Amino acid sequence: MIMKLLNRLANPPEGKYHGVMGVFYYVDDAADAVRTLRQAGHRRLSVLSPVPHHQIERALEQGLSLVRWVTFCGGAIGFTAGMSLCIYSVLSYPMVTGGKELISLPPFMIPTYESMILLGGLTNLLAMLALGRLPQVRPRAPYDPRFTEDRIGIWVPCSGVEAERVREMLRGHEAEEVRLYE
Amino acid sequence: MSEYEASMTAETVGVTEHLPASYTQKALNDDVFRMIGWPGRIWWAVFILDLAILLTGGIVLRNQIVLGLGVAGYTRPVMWAAYITNFVFWVGIAHCGTLVSAVLYLFRSHFRRAVYRVAEAMTVFGVLTAALFPLLHTGRPWFGYWLVPYPSQRGLWPNFRSPLEWDVFAVTTYLTISSIFFLVGLIPDAAVARDRAKHPAMKLLYQVFSFGWIGTNTNWKYYYGGYIFFAAMATPLVFSVHSVVSWDFAMAQTPGWHSTLFAPYFVAGAIFSGVAMVINLLIPIRKTFKLEHIVTLDHMEKLSKLVLLTSNIVAYSYLTEFFIAWYGPSKLERDLFWYRFTGHYWWAAWIMFTCNALIPLALWFKPVRRNMLVLFILCLFVNVGMWFERFVIIATSLARPVDPAVTVYYRMSWTEAAITAGAFAWFFMFFLIFVRLLPAFSIAEIKETLTMPMRRKPA
Repeated sequence: MIMKLLNRLANPPEGKYHGVMGVFYYVDDAADAVRTLRQAGHRRLSVLSPVPHHQIERALEQGLSLVRWVTFCGGAIGFTAGMSLCIYSVLSYPMVTGGKELISLPPFMIPTYESMILLGGLTNLLAMLALGRLPQVRPRAPYDPRFTEDRIGIWVPCSGVEAERVREMLRGHEAEEVRLYE
Repeated sequence: MSEYEASMTAETVGVTEHLPASYTQKALNDDVFRMIGWPGRIWWAVFILDLAILLTGGIVLRNQIVLGLGVAGYTRPVMWAAYITNFVFWVGIAHCGTLVSAVLYLFRSHFRRAVYRVAEAMTVFGVLTAALFPLLHTGRPWFGYWLVPYPSQRGLWPNFRSPLEWDVFAVTTYLTISSIFFLVGLIPDAAVARDRAKHPAMKLLYQVFSFGWIGTNTNWKYYYGGYIFFAAMATPLVFSVHSVVSWDFAMAQTPGWHSTLFAPYFVAGAIFSGVAMVINLLIPIRKTFKLEHIVTLDHMEKLSKLVLLTSNIVAYSYLTEFFIAWYGPSKLERDLFWYRFTGHYWWAAWIMFTCNALIPLALWFKPVRRNMLVLFILCLFVNVGMWFERFVIIATSLARPVDPAVTVYYRMSWTEAAITAGAFAWFFMFFLIFVRLLPAFSIAEIKETLTMPMRRKPA
C-alpha cells in the first residue's frame, strides 16, 4: 500500500503533449536547430539540457532575467521593515538607555541590514522559483532522464502538418532521435 | 573512440580546468553517484560511534537542564566560557562555506566548483551546531523564544542597540540564507539523483529536493539569474555576521575585548578555521571514494593557500593586539595581554599561537601543500588552535577583569566537555548522512568545465 502510494507520488503520470521532441548529442547541432526553428516562427520552443550552453542561449535570444527587480524590491522592503521595527520599538516605549538617543541610527543599521538581506534572499528564492516555473509536479515538456546526463532535448509544441515539418527540420540538423507527440 | 573524443582535445578547445578533456558528462555522474547509496560497514561503525557520543552529550545536557547551570564550570566572573567558545568556533567554521560558494563565485574563481558543495553543507551544519549554544548557555532553553524581537507583556521591546540582539538577527539571517543557498545549489543535481534513483522513496525525496527540475532553458535562465544574487547577498553577509559576533565582545569595555580590530580579526579567523575544516573533510572523502580526479591536488593546494593567507592575517592581528596594548594608554590592557601569555592560561595562549601562527608557516612550502597526510594533520592543528583562540579571548579577559583582586581560574567541567564533544558529534551526524544521501559535489557546475561535444571544431 505504502509502496504503491510512493510509486504514484514518485512517478506522476505523464501529461498530454502535442509537439515534436528532438534529442541531440552535439551542442552546435542543437544551437543550429534552435536558430532554424526560431527563424521558422517557433518561438515557444524549450531546450532541455544538463547544463546551460551559451551557444544555445544566444540562439534563443534570451533577455535578462527579471529576478533582479523582485530581489531589489524584497531588499528594499526588508530595509524599511528592519529600520521601522527598531524605531517603532523605541517610540512605543520611550526609555533612554546608556544615555543614547532614542533613535540611534548607527546601531539600528545592523538589524536593518540583516533584515534587508533576509527579505532580499527570500524574495530572490521566490522569484527564481516562480519565474523559472518551479516546483513542477508534471513536466511541461516530455522528459527523458538523458537530459540530466549528456543529451540536449528540443521541444517544439505544434501539431498536424507543422509537426511533420518540424520533425524534418530536426532530422536535417542531425538529431539523434525525433519523437512526435500527437 | 567516438568522433567527439578523437577531435576534442585540450589543445583544440582550450583549458578544461583540471579534468581531462576525454572525461565525459556521464562519467562525472557515475563518479559522484558512487558516493550515494546504502552505506558500508565502516560508515555504520563511524556513525554509531558518532551517535553514542551525541547520546552522551544529550544525557549530560538533560542533567544540566534539570540541575541548572551550576554543573557547568562557570566561576564568577567567568560567566561566558566553553559554550560561548563553542558558539564562536562553530559560527567561524560555518563561514568558509559561504566564502567558497559565494565570494569565490563572484570572483569567478573556478576551483571552487569542485569543493563548494562540501563547504556549503559544512556551513549549514556548522550554523545548526552554533545555534545550540546560546540556547544551552541561557540555562533555560525553553525560553529561547525570548530572543526573538517582540515586546514583553508590559510593552517593553528587546534593546536593538545591544550586540546580543544584533547576533539574533545576524545568525538567523545567516542560517536562513546559507540553507537556501545550499538547497538551491542542490536543485539540478537532485534532478540527476531523481533520474537515477531506483527506490520510489528515494525518487520522491530527490523529486522534492529538485522541485521537479527538468533543465529547460527557462529553468536555467532564472536559476542563474537568482543564484548570482544569492552570491551577491551572501558575500557581505559573511563579513557582517562574524563582525557582529566579534562585537559581542568588542562593544564591552573589558580589557582584551574593547578593540576595533575585532571585526576583521574575527572574520579572518573564521575563514581560517573554516577552510581548514573543509580540507579536513575533503581529504578523507576524496580518498575513500577515489575522487582524486575531481578534487585534484591543485584544488587542495589552492585551499591550503587560503589557509596560509588567513593564518598570516590572524598572526598579524595577534601581533597588532599586542602592539596596541603596549603602545596604548591603558595599563589594564597591557596587564591583560601580559597575563594571557604568562598567567594562568599561558598554555592555552601558546597552543593558540603555535597552532594558528607558527605551524601554518609550513604551508609556504609546496611539498607540504601537496602532501595530503601532512596537510590533514596541519589543518587539525589549525582547528584546535582556533578553538583555543576563542577560549583565550573569552576566558582570560573575564578571569582577570578590571579589578585584579577577583582573578579566578576557570576550569572546564565534565558537563561542558561532554556537551562540546556532543556538538562535534551533532555536526558529524549531519555530515555523515549528507555524504551518503545527497550529491557532495556539484555535478552541474563541474559539468560546465568539461569539454562539450561539438560536431565542428571551434574556430
